[in-house]
Amino acid sequence: MRLRKVMLVFKKDWLEIKRNHEVILPMIIIPLILSIGFPLVFIVGITMVPESASSMEDLENMIRNLPEHERNALSQMTPLQASIYLFTLYFLAPLFLIIPVMVSSVIAADSFAGEKERKTIEALLATPISDSELLLGKVMVSFVPSFMITVISFIAYSILVNILSFTMLGRFLFPNLLWIMLIFCLSPAMAFASICLTVIISAKVKGFREAQQISGMLLLPIIALMLGQIAGIIMLGPVIIGVLTLSIILIDYAVLSLSVRAFKREEILQKLI
Amino acid sequence: MESIIAEGLTKRFNTIIAVDHISFRIREGEVFGLLGPNGAGKTTTIRMLSCLIKPSEGFALVGGYDIIKESNKVREIVGVLTENPSLYERLTAYENLWFFAEAYGISDTNERDGRIRELLEFFDLWGRRGDKVGTFSRGMKQKLAIARALVHRPPIIFLDEPTAGLDPESAKEIRDLIGRLSKHEKCTILLCTHRLEDAEKLCSKVMIINKGKNIAIGSLEELARLVGKPTLQIGLLSINEKITDSLKALKEVKDVFIDPQLSRLILNLDDESSTPKIVKEVVHAGGMILSVNMVYPSLEEVYLKLIREGTA
Ligand SMILES: Nc1ncnc2c1ncn2[C@@H]1O[C@H](COP(=O)(O)OP(=O)(O)OP(=O)(O)O)[C@@H](O)[C@H]1O
Ligand SMILES: [Mg+2]
Repeated sequence: MRLRKVMLVFKKDWLEIKRNHEVILPMIIIPLILSIGFPLVFIVGITMVPESASSMEDLENMIRNLPEHERNALSQMTPLQASIYLFTLYFLAPLFLIIPVMVSSVIAADSFAGEKERKTIEALLATPISDSELLLGKVMVSFVPSFMITVISFIAYSILVNILSFTMLGRFLFPNLLWIMLIFCLSPAMAFASICLTVIISAKVKGFREAQQISGMLLLPIIALMLGQIAGIIMLGPVIIGVLTLSIILIDYAVLSLSVRAFKREEILQKLI
Repeated sequence: MESIIAEGLTKRFNTIIAVDHISFRIREGEVFGLLGPNGAGKTTTIRMLSCLIKPSEGFALVGGYDIIKESNKVREIVGVLTENPSLYERLTAYENLWFFAEAYGISDTNERDGRIRELLEFFDLWGRRGDKVGTFSRGMKQKLAIARALVHRPPIIFLDEPTAGLDPESAKEIRDLIGRLSKHEKCTILLCTHRLEDAEKLCSKVMIINKGKNIAIGSLEELARLVGKPTLQIGLLSINEKITDSLKALKEVKDVFIDPQLSRLILNLDDESSTPKIVKEVVHAGGMILSVNMVYPSLEEVYLKLIREGTA
């Protein structure tokens, strides 16, 4: 493995992606909606129509699973304050995972399936860059921007929530251990899994769109997590996130070896047509 | 010395046999033509030799390296012009060559920039180096793709229809370039083309395949002999009966035709080694000889005849 070649593939792919609005637009819009759009809609909603804030009974399911000190803290709050607290800290947490998962899979779909669809892969595979160098360069170009975007979105989100919580609750909610683990442990692990899955999908499909559509299924576990929280089956916390991260790392290992097997240059071209 | 040796190369795609046990040898510095109708298996052969797909059977050595076991070594020494230009349309002409130069290991910045400039200037693309390739015309893309194949000065070059989409002047430039690369830089070139006149001008050896099978292989002369004997054409200042009669009397001459417009005699011979005797006879009969040519059937005639025989 020659690092220079890996970086070369990375640089080339990044140059291409930067100029492809089909990739750049979702990379900008998804994080904007989740980190700015959702909280703003929420703020506007509850301040314009205060009765839209849930009553304590509606939140009961979520509260039930919280640790003791959190429940105590919530019992001191008005329903409005409690909604803000639960929405910004807990409800949006699983949804935030959409950013690393979708951004990384959009880039990976372009880098793998897109390159195949545009038939540029043939000249690329004719070069003496090895399979593993190509794979690593392309995984990195999917991973690095998605991680950076996730962190930037997190910072924007923290600032926005802090402004809101300071005015409504009189204190800052961020930084917060749950979210730090969410962004720096679970997010990268999930992004990596989604990239590897997209590599496997890309080997089977014709083009970028198809790969992207199929990889949309990666959102299902995130939605399941969100519904699980609302229904009170599961409640995110540092321990749960730690456990989730470890299990995703195991999945990462499995899908990585599958994607290494799927990325065989002699077979890529055979299925091109 | 042999640069490329292929033995029984075969490629199956499910039920189709795209390439069916073909064997050939290409000497260093030789331009070898691979001809055949659409779907004959030319592109598939090039893809196997450049290690883009694995042969189902058979083996090949390219530059002394085994295409199956030492594929990365093969990739290093080979330059490929793929069937479709396979260029990054969102990158500029310069960026495309930059990427491939680095990919082929030209890491010295000065050397790389010099080489890229040299190629872009040669192909008249230097002025457009900063434009995205997506905005290029088909022929411009084709030229850039050829430049990419040559960027690392490969000793072995595979060209899949290099003159497709080029205007006559550019096509001639490419032809001259191929000739130069083979003569002066000792590059071994495998050329697939549908332009038989290109193959005729460039190739020292030609292989014709159809439906994956080898139909004929040899030098242009050898192939010509397969389909017919050469004719001897003698240009004269003037033709008279004394000359034609004396020629008809010779047992080596089978037929004599007169081409009155060009004042030329066209003779069918059994054996071209009788040419000196015939010339002597013409002189003896008082003929004023302007030119003597041994004319072989053109590659086009040979090609069409062999392909038709093959399918019959
Ligand atoms: N990836 C593939 N999968 C299935 N069949 C293929 C594949 N590639 C080529 N073939 C088949 O192999 C045969 C030879 O194709 P190939 O592209 O080598 O022909 P060619 O001689 O280059 O033709 P042309 O002059 O049209 O370029 C064709 O019948 C084609 O359909
Ligand atoms: Mg072809």
